[in-house]
Amino acid sequence: MSTEKQQPAGNGRDAENLLSVRGLQVHFPIKKGILVDRVVGHVKAVDGVDLDVAKGTTYGLVGESGCGKSTLGRAILRLIEPTAGTISFDGVDVRAQRGEDMRRLRRRMQMVFQDPLASLDPRQSVESVLTEPLRTHGYGNGKADHAKRVRELLDVVGLPANAAGRYPHEFSGGQRQRVGIARALALSPDLIIADEPVSALDVSIQAQIVNLLEELQEQLGLTYIVVAHDLAVVRHVSDTIGVMYLGALVEESPSDDLYAEPLHPYTIALMSAIPIPDPKVEERRERILLTGDLPSPANTPPGCRFHTRCPFRQPKRCADELPALREIRPGRKVACHYAEDIAAGHIRPAESVHDPAATEVGTPTVVAS
Amino acid sequence: MSLLDVRDLSIVFSRRGRRDVRAVDEVTFSVAAGETVGLVGESGCGKSVTSLAIMGLLPKRGAAVGGSIKFDGTELTSLPADKMRGLRGRDIAMVFQDPMTSLNPVIPIGLQVTEVLRRHRDMDAAAASKEAASLLERVGIPDPARRLKEYPHQLSGGMRQRALIAMALACKPRLLIADEPTTALDVTIQAQILELLKELVVDSGTALVMITHDLGVVAGMCDSVHVMYSGRIVERASRWELFEAPRHPYTAGLLASVPRLDQARGEKLEPIPGSPRDTIPWTQGCAFAPRCRNRIESCTQGAPELVADKLRPDHDLRCFNPIDVAEQEAVTL
Amino acid sequence: MSLQVAESAIQQAEHADEAGGGLWREAFRRLVRKPAAIIGAIFVAIFVIVAVFAPLIAPYSPTATDLSQIKGPGHIPGPSSTHWLGLDDLGRDVFSRMIYGARQSLVVGVVSMAFGMVGGIILGLLAGGLGGWVDATIMRFVDMMLAIPGLLFAIGIAAMLGQSLVSVMIAIGVVNIPVFARLLRGQMLAQREADYALAAKSLGVKRSRIILGHVFPNSLSPVIVQGTLTLATAIIEAAGLAFLGLSGADPAIPEWGRMLADTQKFLTSAPQLVFYPGIAIVLSALGFTLLGESLREALDPKNRR
Repeated sequence: MSTEKQQPAGNGRDAENLLSVRGLQVHFPIKKGILVDRVVGHVKAVDGVDLDVAKGTTYGLVGESGCGKSTLGRAILRLIEPTAGTISFDGVDVRAQRGEDMRRLRRRMQMVFQDPLASLDPRQSVESVLTEPLRTHGYGNGKADHAKRVRELLDVVGLPANAAGRYPHEFSGGQRQRVGIARALALSPDLIIADEPVSALDVSIQAQIVNLLEELQEQLGLTYIVVAHDLAVVRHVSDTIGVMYLGALVEESPSDDLYAEPLHPYTIALMSAIPIPDPKVEERRERILLTGDLPSPANTPPGCRFHTRCPFRQPKRCADELPALREIRPGRKVACHYAEDIAAGHIRPAESVHDPAATEVGTPTVVAS
Repeated sequence: MSLLDVRDLSIVFSRRGRRDVRAVDEVTFSVAAGETVGLVGESGCGKSVTSLAIMGLLPKRGAAVGGSIKFDGTELTSLPADKMRGLRGRDIAMVFQDPMTSLNPVIPIGLQVTEVLRRHRDMDAAAASKEAASLLERVGIPDPARRLKEYPHQLSGGMRQRALIAMALACKPRLLIADEPTTALDVTIQAQILELLKELVVDSGTALVMITHDLGVVAGMCDSVHVMYSGRIVERASRWELFEAPRHPYTAGLLASVPRLDQARGEKLEPIPGSPRDTIPWTQGCAFAPRCRNRIESCTQGAPELVADKLRPDHDLRCFNPIDVAEQEAVTL
Repeated sequence: MSLQVAESAIQQAEHADEAGGGLWREAFRRLVRKPAAIIGAIFVAIFVIVAVFAPLIAPYSPTATDLSQIKGPGHIPGPSSTHWLGLDDLGRDVFSRMIYGARQSLVVGVVSMAFGMVGGIILGLLAGGLGGWVDATIMRFVDMMLAIPGLLFAIGIAAMLGQSLVSVMIAIGVVNIPVFARLLRGQMLAQREADYALAAKSLGVKRSRIILGHVFPNSLSPVIVQGTLTLATAIIEAAGLAFLGLSGADPAIPEWGRMLADTQKFLTSAPQLVFYPGIAIVLSALGFTLLGESLREALDPKNRR
């Protein structure tokens, strides 16, 4: 839908891009009916996303709950079947793979989950968790090789060798996440998609896992997609950040530039809302408060998806024309009709915007704290 | 004169056939009207249990509360249940982390708010529903007349939390305890809720106890901050002082382990080793000792006391070997 | 709310000394702390021991008659030092008959429960594992069976199969099949959505292996709890069918339900004869119920952290 002409269509990919996604959609049908189900609409969880991830880099996906970032991550791995679009992984058309071919392709693309306890079978010992992928893909020659690999994996994620005989519930959250990471590494994948890898962990543990992921990337040349709601964490680990809102990317930027100068109004608001653990900074910050809630992905607003809450909304175009994700500066893409004007300071956030058509929305205000 | 005065609070959970668990010990803090006090710590540090003790919501059986909790001069630990009920909701209110479980799912929002108004402020039905609508409006819920008729599940998470705050505000409480009020919410909604709480403290002089694990939240709004670890307060200072010069290795460790949005990327985070479970009982030394980078021999021989810091004014510390101020630069930068 | 916080505080503090062992061992540790579980286990243990060692425990043969004690028509001797629970109208030792009756009840309970559980697991596994039209077909069939009142259904089957103990066991088993099938299928549908199943899929594990190796074992614990509870109802239902005269077996073989039926005509003259089998049925069923309910709590994932 939002795929624009300037991107080469279909399988177009740069030699260095490990992953290229074009026009990816995941629409879930909403069914109704007593005897026969009737499709009455679609939840557009992911609605036309293009992204490229270069080999050995980290792509961070941020957005608030319900923006479709987790679904996008899963759809790339075909853990959820996309409804449209192409996924090209190292030149292979992922969506064209069937049965056994897809299964074999999975060893190269792995996932780390948010809740390490839920993602581990409670009845499997760590050893069994780690040998399962080895058995599945016929790694090495039998038990001795598997045991050796398990020791290697435990070592690489910083768990003691005796962890192999223990069960998930015997570990702390951070250790469990290490087990989950070890499992993802078992088959030496090229790409790892980490879905909120630290958000279920205690604050003091999060840094351990973040550092581990970074070390592993250096050692093994991994490519990551990190999906998270915590922009500070995502910015720390990512080379490129994609900001999602209601199923689509609204901004993509090298992560160094994003905090210095967010371009999309949503990114600006999101950034200003994140508390910084420093009172001096907090006192000086200008906070752009969004009022109202995320519209339902089953009923996305016409025009720009963000226009119902946007403090920079203009009377023209915003409500009726879907902005394309366009590159307004090298490396910086944004889906806003007025991005240049906002960046130049020609358009200021409204003190009070009122749209009688959108009662849900309320009035965006600017608060200088 | 402080409104809430907690002295030497201890909470021990006991169960037949199990060892007693000392969830909170030696907790002392006070909150004055119009002041915001933060209790910060990770899961299991005792911050939530402390708030339940103040509210008198701990189970009668199996939880022994020691020490004293004085609210406006009244001792709460020995207050009869019916007096406590009168106080709760009218003078002291609480906002929980999960708005869904704190609202009754089968009763419309409006009725839940008006019930509080009628019970504690003796309003008649008409006045109560008018007041309820204005409360919802005040917490930023658009179209309050319609929302009042809706059930909790019809509202979004942010709306529900605002409705809950509206209920807490219904009786103009003098003390509001907010237990991770924004943890379940998205950051843009969190910003709205925090703004609301700040206004409340400024406008109506409510005393606010903010319980959170998020140092960023504390930095923006708490006048004084108490960092808890394993049931005890390990450091107390104003937010300015605390973030400028954290003296306890745990506080400094927490600050160094979270990435900051406004700092240059690329530097490695400095995690605290181990997990909050790797503690020793305070009776055997400092509970943080197993994870502490500054550990010295005396740390595992006896527990340090919470005493005024010799080097910094208005700063209390429970540590034998705190980070010294010169070394500070190296840690925080 | 407050209880939850207190609970999690306790759990966190306790976690350190509760390490070691798999899930079942951990559940067992929680189980033995529950008084209800202990009481239930004691009842069940007594019941099983009595049933298994009936010939060693019973002082008399259950069919031997001692007419010397009967002083005339209608006279039923009460408890005495030689016959602890007295004699029945035919001069048989009630205590011995009660003990042999336990045997019968245990066999009926275990066999019919096992029949229902195995049948239910097969149907539930097919429905929950394969999904699609298989699931739809099996579940409509199960719904139909559930629509018929249980005991009525059992009576119908037992009547159809003819009067025998085997037909009673089949009848009770069949009635329980849909209960197990539905339970397992629902549990499997939920577990299939769990992150660990998704994780296995992302590793390229085959679908059959995910279902049989992960989803199925993790869906079993409520089925096992239901099995324990079903033992209790099966014993009651078997007694009920026997009471209605559908068990058919040799009337000389003691069975609590039949004893209840046979002695009800003496309800006014010798109420103890009705009381004994009645209380035995209640206590054995209670034992299994207490154990089952405690097991349910011990296995509840909410109690685990």
